[in-house]
Amino acid sequence: MQLTAKTKGACIVLALLAVVGVGCWVFQLLNGLGVTGMSNVNSWGLYICMFMLFVGLSAGGLIVASSAHVFNVESFKGVAKPAVILSTVCICIAAALILVDLGGIQRFWRLFTGPNFMSPLMWDVCIIMIYLVINILDLVWMGKGDEGKVRKLSYVALPVAILVHSVTAWIFGLQIARAWYTAIMAPIFVASALDSGLALLLLALMVLDKMGLAKLDNGLMASLGKLLAAFIAVDAFFILCEVLTMAYPGAGEAAALSQMLTGATAPFFWAEVVGGLLVPFVVLAVAKNREKRGAVVFASVLVVLGVACKRAWLLLTSFITPNVAGGPGITTGTLSAQTGNATSVWATAGSYAPTVLEVLIVVGVIALGALVFILLCSKLLVHVSQAEVAASEDAVQVV
Amino acid sequence: MTKLALVINQQRCIGCQACALSCKMSNNVPDGMMWNRVVSLDTDHIDGARDTFPNLTREYLPIACQHCENPACMRVCPTGATYKDDKGRVLIDYDKCIGCRMCMAACPYNARVFNWNEPVRQVGFDYGDKDVPARGKGIMEKCTLCHERTDRGEDPMCVVNCPMRARVYGDLDDPNSAASKAAREAGAYVLLPEMGTKPQVHYVK
Repeated sequence: MQLTAKTKGACIVLALLAVVGVGCWVFQLLNGLGVTGMSNVNSWGLYICMFMLFVGLSAGGLIVASSAHVFNVESFKGVAKPAVILSTVCICIAAALILVDLGGIQRFWRLFTGPNFMSPLMWDVCIIMIYLVINILDLVWMGKGDEGKVRKLSYVALPVAILVHSVTAWIFGLQIARAWYTAIMAPIFVASALDSGLALLLLALMVLDKMGLAKLDNGLMASLGKLLAAFIAVDAFFILCEVLTMAYPGAGEAAALSQMLTGATAPFFWAEVVGGLLVPFVVLAVAKNREKRGAVVFASVLVVLGVACKRAWLLLTSFITPNVAGGPGITTGTLSAQTGNATSVWATAGSYAPTVLEVLIVVGVIALGALVFILLCSKLLVHVSQAEVAASEDAVQVV
Repeated sequence: MTKLALVINQQRCIGCQACALSCKMSNNVPDGMMWNRVVSLDTDHIDGARDTFPNLTREYLPIACQHCENPACMRVCPTGATYKDDKGRVLIDYDKCIGCRMCMAACPYNARVFNWNEPVRQVGFDYGDKDVPARGKGIMEKCTLCHERTDRGEDPMCVVNCPMRARVYGDLDDPNSAASKAAREAGAYVLLPEMGTKPQVHYVK
């Protein structure tokens, strides 16, 4: 189909951002990960936060799409195709974010020649590849209108979508050395996948609706909004369980908890609890609001941003307090430490702020994803007006 | 089996950092990082003291890779770059490291350091043991128990240069080795036993 001038403009901006991102990535490849804000103490940062976010956004989309067939929710079937496109693009963004985080990407092939299947990272490589294949098959069969195959695939897609985010959670949740070590990590991740993924799907549907590529009527929006409110409540409940378990003994993880509630990662924690859970839940709990486009957009944006904040406090809190604490601390290995800035050689606590370059790389990856999403949608989705014409022609023939 | 280890007597340690610097020298460790460090526990400063005057105490803890029997870092390495060799040492195959830093997140002791940048050395050239391989940017590294030296029959550099003879190197599987005897002394312990990593490096307090 023909893109409108406005869409074309958006595509050009996204393409430019992507080019800038690739340029920054090449710079990072040449100079090493020292151009980021990470160090030996806080060894994962923005890339991994955004990786977690996008795996979740992707899983949420596919869960909605496959539920439509598994539980036979007729109204969701109409949005299944854009949901799968969204899910495919988001998982590719997540995979790209892992690649930019690797220090030795030129040895990437070692993952395939000498895999260690004890590593949750290896599980993630496997499950993401399976997941991507399922997404693509789903798209192909949907395109051919092969309902039977799509239906059968949905029974596989649903558990794999839940698993893909659980495995991502286990990368963190199985590390006994960190405050991440908790059995509720996978449920928390799945809950945030459900709410953030559905929120992003709602936003994407509204954009596609404006472009005339999908139809989001108020009834469907209200039922998706209701589901979103339920997912937010589950997410909030799991977080409460975890925080209470950390807090109650007054020992062990108390240091991490105090950082989360009142320390360095507290802004992210409270931004999520208030802005990402409480406010959108209250907005969506009112039936009338679920029919108002503005209110649903507001709540959905807050949910996605809230889950982004969650990734930050979840990841970074565990890097703040070393298990063996003593002066002068741990050698940071950063560029500034290397170039003779004596005060930055040692750190007794983890600290992290992304550099501009890091942000530009992430923006570039996301922009590339958004660009691919727009192009895929305009290729694979039939314009609503054309679909209606085709439908009425069919109707005429039937008569 | 062999289970090579260090036993470090904190009663003898005077916090002189000789072990930390000889490690750095011998292993060509680049600027901005150390494999072995001597920290003053529960303080923020080198040679710091805990509590308030006049009730001050100071406890030095030399810390590097603990060469765990159940290494958390090895378990999570996706390419098998981190491995346990036949003498019980935890080592890294630098050619296999993809720089994902999963091991760094898994290690409870902050023993690992990463080459965030192209490594540089203040003197402008490589130094240390002739057999120690060079590591480039994007690669993880840590204490190897000086395996290049010990495989030639020498002691690790940190042990050689400790003026207080606070460090004993040897095989824990040989009950008659000096290390085994030291690890059986009263007050012998391992760091963070609750992590279940079963460190082979022992401390005596």
